Amino acid sequence: MITEDEITLARECLDFARNAGAQNCRITLTKSTEDQISTLDGEIDKVTRCADRSMNIALFVDGRYGAFSINKLERDTLKEFISKAVETVRMLAPDEFRVLPHPNRYCKTALTGRELDSYDPSYSLIDAGQRRRRALDASVFKRCPELPGGARLISEEGEYSDSEYDVYLIDSQGLDCRHTETSFDYGVEVTIESPKGNKYSDYWWTSASKQDEFNASECSMTAIRRACGQIGAKPMKSGRYNMVVASNVASRLVSPLINALNGYSLQQGNSFLVGSMGKRLFSDKLNIIDDPWRKGESGSKLFDTEGVATRETKIIENGMVVRYFVNTYMSGKMHHPLTGEDAIRPRLLAYPSDDMDMNSLMALCGDGILVNDFNGGNCNQATGDFSYGISGQLFKDGKCVKPVSEMLITGNFLTLWKNFLGAGTDFRRCATKLIPSLAFCEVDFSG
Amino acid sequence: MMNNSELFGVSAGQMRTIVAEGLKGGDWCDLYFEQTVYNDLLLRDGAVASGGFHLDYGCGVRVLNGEKTGYAYSESTEFQSLMDAAKAAAAVAGKPGSFKAGPSIPTAKPPYLMQTDWSDADKKQLSAWLEKLEAAIRSRSPYPSKVIALLSWSVSNIMMYNSLGELTSDTRPLGSVTVTAIFIKDGRTEQRNISRSYRCGLEMITDALLDELAAEAVKDLDDSFAARRPKGGRMPVVMAAGASGILLHEAMGHAFEADFNRKGQSVFCDRMGQRICKSGISIIDDATIPGNRGSILYDDEGVPGQKTYMVHDGILTSFLHDRISAAYYGVLPTGNGRRESFRYNPIPRMRTTYMESGADGTLEDLVASVRKGIYVDKFANGEVKIGEGDFTFYVNRGYLIENGRLTQPVKDVNIIGNGPRALADIVAVAGDLKIDDGTWTCGKEQSVAVSCGIPSVLINNLTVGGE
Repeated sequence: MITEDEITLARECLDFARNAGAQNCRITLTKSTEDQISTLDGEIDKVTRCADRSMNIALFVDGRYGAFSINKLERDTLKEFISKAVETVRMLAPDEFRVLPHPNRYCKTALTGRELDSYDPSYSLIDAGQRRRRALDASVFKRCPELPGGARLISEEGEYSDSEYDVYLIDSQGLDCRHTETSFDYGVEVTIESPKGNKYSDYWWTSASKQDEFNASECSMTAIRRACGQIGAKPMKSGRYNMVVASNVASRLVSPLINALNGYSLQQGNSFLVGSMGKRLFSDKLNIIDDPWRKGESGSKLFDTEGVATRETKIIENGMVVRYFVNTYMSGKMHHPLTGEDAIRPRLLAYPSDDMDMNSLMALCGDGILVNDFNGGNCNQATGDFSYGISGQLFKDGKCVKPVSEMLITGNFLTLWKNFLGAGTDFRRCATKLIPSLAFCEVDFSG
Repeated sequence: MMNNSELFGVSAGQMRTIVAEGLKGGDWCDLYFEQTVYNDLLLRDGAVASGGFHLDYGCGVRVLNGEKTGYAYSESTEFQSLMDAAKAAAAVAGKPGSFKAGPSIPTAKPPYLMQTDWSDADKKQLSAWLEKLEAAIRSRSPYPSKVIALLSWSVSNIMMYNSLGELTSDTRPLGSVTVTAIFIKDGRTEQRNISRSYRCGLEMITDALLDELAAEAVKDLDDSFAARRPKGGRMPVVMAAGASGILLHEAMGHAFEADFNRKGQSVFCDRMGQRICKSGISIIDDATIPGNRGSILYDDEGVPGQKTYMVHDGILTSFLHDRISAAYYGVLPTGNGRRESFRYNPIPRMRTTYMESGADGTLEDLVASVRKGIYVDKFANGEVKIGEGDFTFYVNRGYLIENGRLTQPVKDVNIIGNGPRALADIVAVAGDLKIDDGTWTCGKEQSVAVSCGIPSVLINNLTVGGE
């Protein structure tokens, strides 16, 4: 955890900057520790200890701006570093829009860093033996049950980790915020081999901010089931299909929307949602909110990197764009009110009812392709055109009938989200983006 | 000039003591000291109004016990901090290990071209260069709306010491320019991303580079505005020389990394010595190309950078090894043990991956041989599923091939295939090898600078995304 001495040093850095000639300065001090225990085939394979400290320094000098960082946090080193940084900023062009936020937008409720209840005080009590046990207990390699169709487990790579993250944010206008969280994580990747000698790999992961909510017992078997489900996978005939996207990967189709609403993209014209504010561009079934204050979950935040208070807000309401993400800099450039730099925890709301999941969405669609993993691909942010590799299952009458791989979905995000049919409530709380399983019609698949 | 021992404030005797502490938990210990200073200047809206520098400093301590790894790092290089890191890394201790390092390999000439140190950079002059670059783009096209250009440069001072008593040092420069240009014509928007990256000094900033970037930013722009999605499906694909090397990186290179093979995960793990593609095809991973982004004097385990034939005349001849996998297979390390920074342990990674020129004519010959297919020459990103060998890469620009001629421009499609099948389906290789100088970065667990290249090739049967 950040110590009182480190807090004092961060505050001194504001003085170093002012004394070197900066009119304003923002200091972000971060400190983290993480222990990782990796296993390979049920044996400890790697033990890693990470401990990081760094200071990010934003300087506002004579109408100019520069951003700097350093991880040598000794007083004399910092003083010299900041002095040199101020001189560097003076060589840049002036920019009238580079200012600190108005203090009335500052977060004033993040005093201890623990307001969102995402810090587990028992973190410091975990010992090396417990970590090893958690990593080994999560592995099933040595007790793997018989797999369907005669497949065998070739390889299981798991990693248990726990971490503590602490950030302290201050500026020369009086901003003073702190956020701390702990995280307990397990991820596993398995490779199986079918009787025909073909290999299939898959993964699963879980995460919790509290030890007593952490449970990795099902991860490996989930990954193995997913891999076994791919045995014999082949591409289907190219054509238009209904598509259901499983919640573990559904954020892949939401992130481009959120990115396109970011002020930097909009101001540069590098967004397919330029001029979209107040327009109903998507299916009226689509509702996305930002839900940043969810207690006890990693990723929730009371403030953004400028110290601006986050808030619960609508992003897309009944298919209409109702929010851009605009920080102080872009606010000046775009002549748009400051709204906060990004979505902290976007959540897509269920439709048509609050009891839907992946299976009920497949039932809703009848026939189609379930996508439960993506393989590469990209989105042209300027046009919204996309193309992604996928794998999953062909489903008929709402039931999976055949594994599918080596296929691509291709289209445009405006069209895709016009063809949005519904969403479940099965988002994963451990993910930053709270996106449930999704259903769409008329999606172009190539195989 | 300060030597690395002075820079990191650690003596040879102290390094021996730290390594001895690490060896209490294993049979190999190495230290990786790093100081990287990264600088950037950003042009946006016609002015260079943002920039900065960043200092990253620390040391990683690795202990190997057989194939098991203990790793810890410290952002302080004070003796006690490093001893603590060594103790933490030694926690891997278990049964007696069996790690045996291969013999040392003589070093080679540094593959860097630094004539003028980046520390001599005049930031005002560099800002003026970026502004001139924007002007050059605007002078070549009536359609530019916005130009963002980022110039970044870093110098990493690396010092490595291991339990064989080997002490190696490397000073790695890396300069990069990336340009994102937005063009608008008749209400349609076209985005171009262009980059160059070299392991060289300030001398890379020239008018010639500026002209090259500006010309590429507007190349065939009208075609891009007219580009459409092709009809998707399986078809022959002609991949142009240069950036198409992403095919080798994704479809083959990762599957040749020895960690995936040692663990039985790779689709190629039992194919060493076998024919995996037609004769005449050789695929190389090379750390020795002067000034190339993927080049390194030493890898991050102190093994000299080398040129490694993975496929020679169609036969799989070598995986890409770090010290762990080399010991496992009983071969010499190939200098592929790389890491993002001192915060990470090294793992097998590519450097510059390319295919040697073939003897099947020219690009035009390859296109002329296709009745209906697609030609691609500009790419974004790629990915691979190691077990299955299924790979994808994203195409920013290409053309349909109809009756042996390039016709309709296409863009924004993903291509998917299977590594072993795609290798076997390479039916023609032209004689025009080109190494791409873009800012390629590989993201296997850690981000590492790489590069790729290829001559023009014809692959019989890949799946192209479309409508």
